[in-house]
Amino acid sequence: MLTQFEHFAVTEMMGKTDNPPRANGSLCFGSQWERSSFGMALALAKNGIFEWDDFRDELISTIKAWEDAHPVDRSTWNYYDQFLAALEKAVVKAGIIDPEEIRAVLAG
Amino acid sequence: MIDRFQYREDREAYSAARVKALEALLIKKGIITDKTVDTVLDFFETKMGPFNGAKIVARAWVDPSFKDRLVTDTPAAIAELNLPEGMAGAEGEHMRAVANSPDVHNLIICTLCSCYPWPVLGLPPYWYKDPTFRSRAAREPRAVLGEFGLPVPEAIEIKVWDSSAQIRWFVVPERPVGTEGMTEAELEALVTPEAMMGVAIAKAA
Repeated sequence: MLTQFEHFAVTEMMGKTDNPPRANGSLCFGSQWERSSFGMALALAKNGIFEWDDFRDELISTIKAWEDAHPVDRSTWNYYDQFLAALEKAVVKAGIIDPEEIRAVLAG
Repeated sequence: MIDRFQYREDREAYSAARVKALEALLIKKGIITDKTVDTVLDFFETKMGPFNGAKIVARAWVDPSFKDRLVTDTPAAIAELNLPEGMAGAEGEHMRAVANSPDVHNLIICTLCSCYPWPVLGLPPYWYKDPTFRSRAAREPRAVLGEFGLPVPEAIEIKVWDSSAQIRWFVVPERPVGTEGMTEAELEALVTPEAMMGVAIAKAA
């Protein structure tokens, strides 16, 4: 079956640790930055900058680390905090952005 | 880095700044453009999702002959509507609609795999892939629907349809009473993914 990358990428996450939040059949974004993070990650994987599965491994381990650090009180949980952290790691690992560059933009 | 900020609002502003920085750098390097995010999300927001199913169901409510064609040859009926490409083709060719009636309530499940009629229903809810839901819905659908807040009287037969790679089912719920004067567009807003899965019914808003 011919499947769009977007379809394949999100379907793979269903029922897994890195399942994105959704309601009424749609992805839910709490803010514009969450939506942009998701769109950028998907676009970069679609363009072959990194493998979607590698990004997901990064995301799953980021989520695991957060859960280990918050064994009891998880009231501060936000899926897209972890997603963004994983995305930053993935672009650095892919060699397309240097952490210094991000710091410079943020400082500027 | 994230936990440096104690308050949610600070973290929000900081996350927004990080995303903005990342997007600006990627655009500057020519890896993405300022349209990339919208283009990718467009797939979920306008092409494939529950809004397609809502259009199909609303048409079936206003046009009984369309409804007949929909349950007899689902892909052909869907192709009559001007939905995004892929609805009746590669993504949707195995789709089959089942219609609720005063005597029959339909429920779709998927016991073996992740097959889900995504082009019409959008992303599945978190419980859909839960093995407990899948096995219980097959075994005792009436009890499960009751737990969903949908008590189905004994007089109404419950049919359970198990989606597979070959056939992906979706439900045409009954048109709610009191919606006679509504336009097709108004009716679309009453069709939820849950109603098209059979774990809810469509209600007049």
